[in-house]
Amino acid sequence: MITAYLKRAYSSFAAHVFDVPPRLLAFLLFVLHLVLPVAKPDPFIQLTVFDIFFLAAFAASWDLLVGRSGQISLGHALFFGIGGYTTGILSVNLGLAPWITIPLAVLVGVSASLLIGLPCSRVKGPYLALVTMALPLILVQLFKLDLLLPITGGEAGVGILLPIIPSAFFRMLGFGSRDAIRAVALATYYFALFLVFAASVILYKIANSKTGMVFVSILDDELASKACGINVTRYKLMALAISSLFAALIGAIRGHFATIVSPGRFLDLTVSFAPVMVAFLGGIGTIYGPLIGAYIYYTLDRFVLQKMTQIPFLAFTDWEHVRFLIFAVIVIVLVIKWPRGIARFVTDKLHDLEEARDLDERGKWIWKTYKKRKKKE
Amino acid sequence: MIENILINGAILGGLYALLAFGFTLIYGVSGVVNLAHGAFFMIGAFIFSALGPFLLSILGPLGVTSTVIPLLALILAAIFVGIAGSIVYRLTIHPILGDEVAIMVVTISVALIIQQLVLIGFGFSAPVTPFVSGSIKIIGVSVTYMKILAFVLSLGLFVGLWAFINYSKIGAAMRAVSQDHEVAMLMGVNTETLYMLTMAISTAFATLAGVFFTSALLAGQAVPHMWLEPLWASFAIVVLGGLGSIKGTLVGAFIIAYVEHLVAAVFVSQGGVIVRAIPIATMVLILLVRPKGLFGKRIEME
Repeated sequence: MITAYLKRAYSSFAAHVFDVPPRLLAFLLFVLHLVLPVAKPDPFIQLTVFDIFFLAAFAASWDLLVGRSGQISLGHALFFGIGGYTTGILSVNLGLAPWITIPLAVLVGVSASLLIGLPCSRVKGPYLALVTMALPLILVQLFKLDLLLPITGGEAGVGILLPIIPSAFFRMLGFGSRDAIRAVALATYYFALFLVFAASVILYKIANSKTGMVFVSILDDELASKACGINVTRYKLMALAISSLFAALIGAIRGHFATIVSPGRFLDLTVSFAPVMVAFLGGIGTIYGPLIGAYIYYTLDRFVLQKMTQIPFLAFTDWEHVRFLIFAVIVIVLVIKWPRGIARFVTDKLHDLEEARDLDERGKWIWKTYKKRKKKE
Repeated sequence: MIENILINGAILGGLYALLAFGFTLIYGVSGVVNLAHGAFFMIGAFIFSALGPFLLSILGPLGVTSTVIPLLALILAAIFVGIAGSIVYRLTIHPILGDEVAIMVVTISVALIIQQLVLIGFGFSAPVTPFVSGSIKIIGVSVTYMKILAFVLSLGLFVGLWAFINYSKIGAAMRAVSQDHEVAMLMGVNTETLYMLTMAISTAFATLAGVFFTSALLAGQAVPHMWLEPLWASFAIVVLGGLGSIKGTLVGAFIIAYVEHLVAAVFVSQGGVIVRAIPIATMVLILLVRPKGLFGKRIEME
């Protein structure tokens, strides 16, 4: 009886949640993040959420390319890394301010994507995936050349980048040096929050605009889109350029916050694999899915797998490798069993429930009218 | 100088042909872009390095000579990886056949899993010693016997597999499936088994290539991160020769090998990086100039 009651309560609750417009949900989420540092002033949680923001926005840019336009890039770290390295090199070697170097980094990232896209997007096939996968690792090798070593720093990377929000600014306003550091941390958090929400909203709007529809039509049937008079190559390039724009922007800003741009954090294969993982966890092709996916990923990573290392039997010395292995297995299982991801799975379930509720109400209505008629008779 | 390029380029070309054949075979027959091909190449070398001492400890006291053991280990490693490859195919790739994005994500995940498993199980490197020692001078260039053996074996295997595809019944089935898999099914070809068999052959060949590469060319050390470069090389060869064309694979392998050696000879000091970028550069060039490759008409087996 209790289970039946709970089931009913859940279904009514779920139906009500579904009634809430997604715009309101997104707004609530935004407000929740807005008050988080005030409600829980824990620097660890703040930093984790900060990381989640960047991963989510990066994965959303990947999702627009792969989930919407169907071009697969297995090396999105290329654009992320180009963004980070361009701003890093300009800022360290020339001493330019971040507001000049970041737009330049985005420009370089977009032109790189167009250079790669021109040969690869003309032909249908796995070319783009292979080229983008290979280029970051070739770039790492290139950066180690004697010629480029003084500029790029090789394995150690470029450092130290100028901060976007300098603590001198707060000190000028009359903060003490300790308060200034705290204020910078808070300002950084809010900066990242606004950036990520702005990027996600823009990406979502693009994905659901007329151009986004064209992307989906190319994904569904390239030949039919061609027959409708769509310049397929142009739109494919456009998707690649938009995606790389956001990836480079996020990479550049991430570089300024991390203060050091190194191959391991910006151009590695694991960096390329992160958005794939997050997008499939959250739901590919949704744009908002990666945010949920990033939360799931970090919860799994920080709170489940790190707790597992404390179990004596599982305390491998090479835990890093096992962690990565587990995530790769999760991706395979998700792709095969839940290709629509967790966010889509939940919304689909809610949709089903709503339909069931509608049917239920219709059934009740029919039963009532039937009874009324019987009474009349 | 020129003799050096000629001979070493030929040896590298033979090995590349063996490596790319597996890749083109599975692509041509089932349309799967197997990004884990390089990972099978890598794990093959590691399994070979583990099997050698193991077999020596078992068969050594029975009086089996130490020249037979590496060959036995090679065959066993190929069989083992082939079976593993077909199981991986059945478990991961078969449920999503036809979905290009999903296949690429899954195969790259498989490659990463194999890399991590090797890192956990074998550590950062394993020695793959050449089976034969000694060297000979061919037109003034010193070539180890191992290189010659690897070259001869890989070309022999290439020709053998080519003959298998062209003259055997299973090969005919493979060609039929590559042309039209629905009609082949109507003619009574069990495509599922055929795909698994193709995957087994493909991964076994990757293993053989991996063992030859590490023992003859890569200074006898297998490392877990060495799967990416063979993957790009085989993909570039396949694109250069035309997707699914066997003749194209052979020609493409030799072209890429010679270009790599030429460039390495020209840019001696900075050779490593530029040589690594050659497969990708060739691929981009081919996509710009002639996207179907040298011998590609349509995507089908010859």
